[in-house]
Amino acid sequence: MSGYRFDRLKVLVVDDNQHMRKLVVTILQAFGTIQIFEAESAELAWSLLHDVNPDVIVLDWMLTGMTGLEFTNMVRTNAGCPNPFVPIIMLTGYTQIDHVRQARDAGVTEFLAKPVSVKGILTRLTAVIEHPRPFVRTKVYYGPCRRRRDKEEYRGPERRTAPQDNAQHSMAAAG
Amino acid sequence: MAKQQPIELFMPPNILKAKMGGGIGGLDMAAVKRAEQAIETLKTEFTDWIAADVTKLSACRDAYAATPGKETCGDLYRASHDLRGQALTFEFPLVARVAAILCKLLDSEKVNPPLALIDAHVNAIRVIVKQNIKDKADKTAAVLIKELDVRVDEVLAKPA
Repeated sequence: MSGYRFDRLKVLVVDDNQHMRKLVVTILQAFGTIQIFEAESAELAWSLLHDVNPDVIVLDWMLTGMTGLEFTNMVRTNAGCPNPFVPIIMLTGYTQIDHVRQARDAGVTEFLAKPVSVKGILTRLTAVIEHPRPFVRTKVYYGPCRRRRDKEEYRGPERRTAPQDNAQHSMAAAG
Repeated sequence: MAKQQPIELFMPPNILKAKMGGGIGGLDMAAVKRAEQAIETLKTEFTDWIAADVTKLSACRDAYAATPGKETCGDLYRASHDLRGQALTFEFPLVARVAAILCKLLDSEKVNPPLALIDAHVNAIRVIVKQNIKDKADKTAAVLIKELDVRVDEVLAKPA
C-alpha cells in the first residue's frame, strides 16, 4: 500500500479520443482521484490550465490542432502559464526511441506508451510524486532535467560546469 | 573555441508529495486491483468503441479517396494512429498490428500513398473487427499482415 491521498490529486486528461479519455478517467477514479478534468484539444487544455491549475497533466501526443508536444512547450515556456513545473505524463501510441527523445526535449516529465495499463499509469504517477525531476534552463531548453540515469553511472568530469575543453560535450548533454 | 553554455539547474518545491501524503514505496496493489476491476467492467463497451474507431477510419479513407492530399492523408494517419494505440487495449491486437503498418505507409515521405494499398489495410481491419478475431496467433490474419507489411515496404523502397 502506497498510502497516497489520490483523492487530493487534481488531474487534467487531454486526448481527442473520448474512449481513451474514458479509459484513463476510469483508472484514475479507481485510484480514488475525484478531481479529474477532461479536454479534447490542447487549446481547451490551455484554458482549463488557468481555471483548475491541475497537479498533473496526462497528455496525448497526437491531437487535432496543437499537438501534445507543442502544448508541452507552451506550458514550459509561455509566461502566461500558471504552473510551468506541472508534471506532464505523455500517453502515446508512438514507441520509437526518437519519439521518446522528442517528448523529453519538449519538456515532458514521463512517457507512457500505449496500450494503456493500470500499472503503467500508477507507476508514472508515483514517479512524478516521489521523484520529481529537477528543472533546467538553458538558451535552448526549459523543462525537466533530461538526464534520467543516476549520477553514479557517469564517472567523467562534470559536464555542465567543466571548463572550455569540455564545453562541446556540455552543450551536447545540456539539460 | 566553443563557449560554455549557461545552464541553470534547480529543484522546484515538491508540493505534490506534500499534498498527496507520504508514500511508503512500491505500488498500491489495492488501487491496481480496483482499477483492473473497473477496466473489466468497461470491457463490455470495447467492441462498440473499436467499431466507432473503425467507422472513423473508414470515413477518413473516403475523404482521402475523394480528395487525396496532405490534409486528408493527415486525418487518415491520425485515425490509424489512434487504432494502433488503442486496439490492443480493446483486445484487438491484430487491428493494432495492421494499423501500425498503415501508419508506416502514411507517415512516409511518399506523396499520396496508393489508395488500393490503403484500402487493403482498412478492409483487413474491418474484417478482423467484424469477425471478432482477437487471437493474435490467427494464421490467416498473420499471412495477411505479413503480406501487407511486404507491400508497404515495397512502396516505401521505390524512389519518390
